[in-house]
This record gives sequence, C-alpha cells and structure tokens, in this order.
Amino acid sequence: MASADGGAYSYSLTVFSPSGKLVQIEHALAAVGQGTTSLGIKATNGIVIATEKKSPSILIDDSMIEKVAIICPNIGMVYSGMGPDFRVLVARARKAAQGYWKIYGEYPPTKVLTQELATIMQQATHSGGVRPYGVSLLIAGWDITRGPSLYQVDPSGSFWAWKASAIGKNMVNAKTFLEKRYNDDISLEDAIHTALLTLKEGFEGSMTEKTIEIGVVTVPSQADLESGKMEGTGRIKPTFRKLTEEEIRDYLAM
Amino acid sequence: MPDGSYERPQQRQFNPYSENGGTILAIAGADFSVIAGDTRQSEGYSIQTRYAPKVFRLTERAVLAVNGFAADGNMFVKKVKQRLEWYRHAHAKDMPLRAIARLIQTMLYAQRFFPYYVYNILGGIEEDGTGAVYSFDPVGSYEREACRAAGAAQSLVQPFLDNQIYFKNQTPAPGASHPTHLPLPDVLSIVIDSFTSATERHIEVGDGLEIYVVLAKGRSTQELASIGGLQELSTRAEGDRMFVIRRDLKKD
Amino acid sequence: MSIMQYNGGSTIAMVGKDCVAIACDLRLGNQALGISSNFEKIFAMTERTYIGLPGLATDVTTLHEQLRYRLNMYTIKEERTMEPETFIHLVSSTLYEKRWGPYFIEPVLAGLQRMPGGSFRPFIASTDLIGCINFAKDFVVAGTASEKLFGVAEGLWEPDLAPEDLFETISQTLLNAVDRDAYSGWGAVVYVITEDKVIKRTLKGRMD
Repeated sequence: MASADGGAYSYSLTVFSPSGKLVQIEHALAAVGQGTTSLGIKATNGIVIATEKKSPSILIDDSMIEKVAIICPNIGMVYSGMGPDFRVLVARARKAAQGYWKIYGEYPPTKVLTQELATIMQQATHSGGVRPYGVSLLIAGWDITRGPSLYQVDPSGSFWAWKASAIGKNMVNAKTFLEKRYNDDISLEDAIHTALLTLKEGFEGSMTEKTIEIGVVTVPSQADLESGKMEGTGRIKPTFRKLTEEEIRDYLAM
Repeated sequence: MPDGSYERPQQRQFNPYSENGGTILAIAGADFSVIAGDTRQSEGYSIQTRYAPKVFRLTERAVLAVNGFAADGNMFVKKVKQRLEWYRHAHAKDMPLRAIARLIQTMLYAQRFFPYYVYNILGGIEEDGTGAVYSFDPVGSYEREACRAAGAAQSLVQPFLDNQIYFKNQTPAPGASHPTHLPLPDVLSIVIDSFTSATERHIEVGDGLEIYVVLAKGRSTQELASIGGLQELSTRAEGDRMFVIRRDLKKD
Repeated sequence: MSIMQYNGGSTIAMVGKDCVAIACDLRLGNQALGISSNFEKIFAMTERTYIGLPGLATDVTTLHEQLRYRLNMYTIKEERTMEPETFIHLVSSTLYEKRWGPYFIEPVLAGLQRMPGGSFRPFIASTDLIGCINFAKDFVVAGTASEKLFGVAEGLWEPDLAPEDLFETISQTLLNAVDRDAYSGWGAVVYVITEDKVIKRTLKGRMD
C-alpha cells in the first residue's frame, strides 16, 4: 500500500495502512535519511557526538549555524534531519530540563530527558493536526546513576541506548565503519579521532573546524564529585561541553 | 470640618507600655545564689543600648533582676531601694531576703490596676544561710524556687533549666538520687550556656552578660578564683559576700 | 489562634557522627483538648529518608500521601531511590505549588545521603509552610514547641555524637521542650538512622 506517492493512507497520520504502518513516520525517517550525517561514540571516560555542518552557499554566515546543542550542564544533543524541527525540540528539551531542576533542585538524568523528548516525538505521531518531527536525535549526557550514556531517538518516538551510532545520509556506511573501529575500552581521545575518521568517510568537500561540530561528555573525577557544587557560583561543574573551533582544528591536525 | 469640628467621633490612644527585650535568670545553690541578666536593651528591631543593666544589688545579700518594660523596671528598683534605705534607718540593719520578697509583692500589688510591666527575680541568701530565688509576676504573685528564667528568651531557657537543674526527664541510677542543689561551678557554666544559647537564637538577647554571685557567710570563695572578669562588690569580708562576673555576648 | 497551633505537635531532627536522628511527640489535640496520644508525625519515605510533618493534622495525612505519590512516581520512572537532598527539593516544590493556599505543615527531614563513593553523609533540612528550605548543619525544629526546642537543642547538642549519644540528646531535647508546651507532648517517637540500621524507639512522656 505504501506506494510512491504514499497512497490513500499517507495524509492522515493517525490512520494505519493495512500493512500496519503509519506512512507519515516512514516519510519522516526518509527526511532524516536526507539530513547530514551525525554520530556518537561512547568511550570509557566520556562520549563524543559529532556532525557535519554544511552550508548550501558560501554566502551564509556559518558561525550562526548550531547543530550540537547544550540542553543542560550534563546533557547535549545533535540531530540529522530538519533543522527547524530540531530547534523546537531543543527548546522543549531545555524547558524540560529546567522544569526538572525547579522540582528536584538538580538536572535530569540522560535517560529521563531522553524519555521526555521521545514522548514529545511520539505524541506528534498520533495527535491531530500535526506531523511527526523530521529528525533523529543523538543525546549524550552524564548522570550519577548511569554514568555516561548515549541515546538515539527516532521520529516514531522510539529510543535506544548505543555504544556508538550514526544517523543521517551516511548512516549505513558510518555504522559499518564504527562497528569495525569500536571496542569497549576506547578512550575519549581515541573516540574523538574515530568520530572524525567516520565523518571523513563520505564527507563532501573539505572537513575543517568550520564544517563540523563536536560535543563531548567528560566523566567527572572522584574529587569533583566529592567537592560537589562549585565555589562561588554554587553550580555543579558541567560535564557536557562543545569543542571550540581551535580545539577541533587541533584534533584535525593530529 | 472647616470650623475645626469633626464629622464623626475621633479616637485617640496612648500606650504607656513598651517591651524592651532581654532575659534574666537566677539559680539557687545550697549556700549561694546566682542572678544573671544580659545587657541589651531593645525596642522592636532597634537596639537602644548594648549596656543597660537589668540586675541590681539591693543589699549585701540580695540581688534583684528586673525584665520587661525598662522604664517601669528602673523606677521599681529605685522605689525598692528607697524602701530598703528607710528600713535601714528605722531598724539599723538590712532587710532579710524573705522580707524583701514580701515587700516586692506588696509594692507590685499596690499597682494592681496600672501594673509595673516587669517580671522580677530576686536572689540572695536567707537569714538561715541558704541560697534562695524568688520569682514574681507583674502584679506580685511570687514563689520561692531553685531556679527561674524570665524575659524574651524564657521559652528557650526554662526547659533547658528544667533539664539541667531539676533533672527533669532524667532517671537516676538505681539506688542513687539527683542532687537538690548543684555546686557553684556547675551552676555558672549552666548560666553561661543558657545565655550563649539564647543569644544564638533570640535577636533580643546579647551584647553583655552580668552574673551576680552571692555567697553565704563563711563560704569559701575558692571556686571563683579561676573565673575571668570577676569583681567583688562586698563592703565587708566577714559577712555574706557578693561578686559580679561580666562577660561579652555576641553583638549580632 | 493560628491554624498552625490548631492540633499541636512538634518535630526535631539532629545530625550526629555518621548518623542522624529525628523525633516527634504523639499528641493530637483540638486546641486545648487532647484527642489522641498516638498520632505519629514522622514517616519513612525511603530506607534512609524520614520526614516529620508537624502542623495541621488533616494536612499531615494529605501531604504525606501527596509526597508518597510523587516519590513513587519518581522511583518507578527513574528506576532509583530518591536521595534526601533531592527529596527536600521535591517537598519544597510541592509546598510552593500551593503558595496561595498552603498546607499548614512545616516539614523536618532527616536522612543519609548516598555519596558518589558509596559512603553515606548525614543530611537534615526543614522548610517553612510554603517550602523555603533551611539546610542546617546541626539541628532543625518545627511545631508548637519550636522555640523551646531551639533553646534546649542549642544547649545540649554538640558535634559528632555517636548514635546512642545522639539518641539521648534528641530525646532529652524533645521531652524537656514539649513538657513546657501545652500543645505538644503525650509521649514521643525517636528514630536513629545509621548506615546499616534504623532504630525506632517510643518514649513515655508526661501525660498532663
């Protein structure tokens, strides 16, 4: 029934096709498949998430484009698919994180934030008057109970925890590449290099600090944990951060 | 109205009383008495002075602590002192403690319908040489006790005293019993602890602490030897002796 | 007469060395009239977190149920037990939600906080009836005898008390404070929480 134009079941996303599919979700997944490649690798002492940042014209000021987003001090995420949809989800994620902070006085664990986003994305698959989000997400974070964790969320609202994953245009190749390169005791430094190598596979044009973005989760040291909140600000030490252009340039040069 | 009259009845009020904070406390020993008070005087959230004594020497063996409305307190002490002076002129001796206590009752009750807004605690040595504490309400109800706290931090200090002086809620070891009177050093440290505790948690208590110690005739002054900030007030060394200990309390 | 004094009752929590204690009286009154001498105000929320809820009796039950509900939802959703520091924030936000029609309760909390290294750190806190948190290092008090509790606790408490000494200190503090409060008393309950066990003791008190 899922014919090229979508057939009779393609416009109302709340109606299943006889084969048991919600075709709009499949289309959303197709939109993700056209998006630029993003990937994430979990290392022993952290996580790296990275993405390709391609501007359609040299006239665009690419310092404005942001594809790796910080949600709260311990969580960040990246996407493949539709940029505007991602922006909405980032706003929702940040709101959820601050809402959690207001109730519990701390930021959410990665899994809880992921569940929250997955629920939002799932709701878009059976609510009237909306379409599914055209993005897949890679969410990386650190929390006291589960340590560093990496999740992927799809437009259907399903989510998984990964050791390493890739989404977007080149995901099949990237995943195969990652399967070959990944091992359970990879360090964060090695993972960053592996991430760059994976992106390089099938990268169109030149890969520079201007054309990729990287976010890292670092596992806090025992001393950091014992000392608790930071002197002065009273905030916890962030565990997620984005690499600066200088840092990315250095990694590319190595 | 334009002619200076009022449209409706007006009411004016004058409140002759105010409350000046602070706390007083007295504990009787077997042959001594300790009477203490802080020296902060406040009105509302303002500190009027950090040194306004609330504890006064009446005779060689009697000390009066007055707490509540400071103006009334000072006038009351002045009048008690005057009555004691008259007594000396008439009888050529100091009035005994129990008689001072009765006098204070009479003087307070005389003002039954415009009372001195004060809580009094009288401490000293009785004619039989025992330490005594008398506590009064503003209209003269009084009672001889082993210890009493009054004033702003009464609710903080009194249950602590119940526990430490009367051994309330404490069970003595089988065959043993609680002492009826504590030794002087124990009493002094309980007094100091009470005031530092009250200072910590009550805004109207602090600045300075004055502890009057009255020792019965012939009693050793040995236990006071090591106390800092001590000053003797007795005029004769052979009778009952009186000392004052002045300490700083937190000023915040 | 304030609604906070309508039923009477008091609670206190103290920190010791590697342990905490929390205690409450057992009186339930209707103003000056005593109704029950078996009204416990302390509830176990997790294995190592106990909360005391002195104040309006109807709100004691309601707020306890509300907190139990929210705690259970958290436990199921996050697949972990809530730590005391997190719990007091939950209490705070639950109370502040009702800022303009509050529960007439001033909660007191005692618990052992699991540290990143796996050890436990004593934790106590209290809030006012709209959820302003007081993180104290020594002791916290609440209820109709709070002034008296402050006075006695300030005189008796000292740092690093061992569990048995802490029990004695908190018991004496509570008993002597409530004996000077007409709205509290009629017996007491004391919990001493250590890493490996929680000891609950019921104390006899003056019945007047």
